[in-house]
Amino acid sequence: MASHSISQLSSSDAASARSPIPAAAGIGLRLQHHAHVRRERPEAAWLEVHPENYMTPGRADELLAFADHYPLSLHAVGLSLGSACGVDADHLRRLAELERQVRPDLMSDHLSWSAAADQGGLVVLPDLLPLPYTQEALNVVTANIDHVQGVLGRRLLIENPSTYLQFSQSSLSEAEFLCALVRRTGCGVLLDLNNIHVSAMNQGIDPASALGEYLAWIPHEAIGEIHLAGHAVRDLEGGGQVRIDDHGSRVCPDVWGLYHTAVRTLGARPTLIEWDTDIPAFTVLQDEAATAQSFLDRVRTRELAHA
Amino acid sequence: MLDLGSLQKQMAAALLDGRFDVLEGQVMAGPVGAAEAFGLHRNTVRYALTNALRLTFPTVDSLVGEAFFDQAALAFVAEHPPTRACLTGYGRDFPDFLACYPLAAGLPYLADVGRLDFAVEEVGGCALGRDGPVLDLGEAVMTLDASLRVLRLDAPAAAIRDALEGGDDGALAAIDLNPRPRSHALWRRPEGAAIRPLSPVSAAFLEGILAGASAEDALTAALATG
Repeated sequence: MASHSISQLSSSDAASARSPIPAAAGIGLRLQHHAHVRRERPEAAWLEVHPENYMTPGRADELLAFADHYPLSLHAVGLSLGSACGVDADHLRRLAELERQVRPDLMSDHLSWSAAADQGGLVVLPDLLPLPYTQEALNVVTANIDHVQGVLGRRLLIENPSTYLQFSQSSLSEAEFLCALVRRTGCGVLLDLNNIHVSAMNQGIDPASALGEYLAWIPHEAIGEIHLAGHAVRDLEGGGQVRIDDHGSRVCPDVWGLYHTAVRTLGARPTLIEWDTDIPAFTVLQDEAATAQSFLDRVRTRELAHA
Repeated sequence: MLDLGSLQKQMAAALLDGRFDVLEGQVMAGPVGAAEAFGLHRNTVRYALTNALRLTFPTVDSLVGEAFFDQAALAFVAEHPPTRACLTGYGRDFPDFLACYPLAAGLPYLADVGRLDFAVEEVGGCALGRDGPVLDLGEAVMTLDASLRVLRLDAPAAAIRDALEGGDDGALAAIDLNPRPRSHALWRRPEGAAIRPLSPVSAAFLEGILAGASAEDALTAALATG
């Protein structure tokens, strides 16, 4: 099994980077805003896209045009790093081809799975499905991340998922699992604070305590990006509520609270506003990004005062 | 305790068929019940796939309406779950499925409408302005666009698509729905796919050129079909 240190992979990143993603608030670019961004080039510190939406020649050309004007991050949803059947070679080849064309500053995917072996082939479900946190799963995800990082020649950031359930066979916490992945593979972590909030509330845990566990386990230098998004709250038939990670509203006050804690602890990090359902005008996303930027600016001011 | 591969295989099957009882015992009790949690994932999968099909087949969706489309799409998904993470190209078999879908038996043109939608989507994903086959006419040499293709249909799918896109109910009602050979050239334009009707001879000629034949051979073969 190949093993990479973070320092080795960081130098590879630097060689391939067009320009570094700033530790500033960026915006997730979705198809609905393509024409506006292409025409108006609105202000955004950086953009993040799902590479699976650009795996045709025409779409890749569009992405290259955006890359001329904005630092870019490729946030994959299809590597299925948690699949026991391994990473689909064709999907990885197409991702690597896009990476070579676009030269993104950051690349990431999720601690989840979507593909399963089925009668000699694959069945792939468009969702980020949860993993049991076991030693077996840790070995599977380690091997898959090693393989992907080897093919891409760069470090991946791995995002903590939002979950609605926990497997009875889990023997590690999610934070322990991610920490082990960082140590084994040299990968980084994309800390999604909305996901921490959603998962904690769905498991009956205090979100602030859950964030504390992440910050205690994961080496801070490995946390290369933060995600912020909104979620929905739905009443359950038998009573109680479930938080659904729908990325369909503004960041809620509790998640801003987690962000305040995270950036005070970690320092400024590239931070993304994600919005995927009921997508509003681009100006609303800019407004959310400005709020995140105000937190980052305060942290920088504090850092300068302490310097 | 299931190994990871078996657990994922069972979960994938359960998320497609909705039978979560096979996963009993795999999940810890929590504020959100196992059936509700798996139900949320199932809804996400079903929404994502029906939405992907809706985006690829907008004219089919407009013709049959949301409820019918969802019903047909979910029936298709059950028979043809995706085998790739990238959903571009998912639904290639949807028109053939519609041709045999009992609830669409009264809409014999629906499958061809789907075939045109899919071709438009495919051409829209082609790179803009790339050189393709060369048409050598002796005194004139032309380079065709690499995205150019010929689509042969029996139903008036292009007229239906035009009428629906233009919101022209009168034009829609006036369309001759009788099946007869209808050929079209499609190629990538900045705004998406261009669609132009072709005569049978023109279609055969262009097909010959795209297959690599010389202009003379393609023309001879095309005239023979006419």
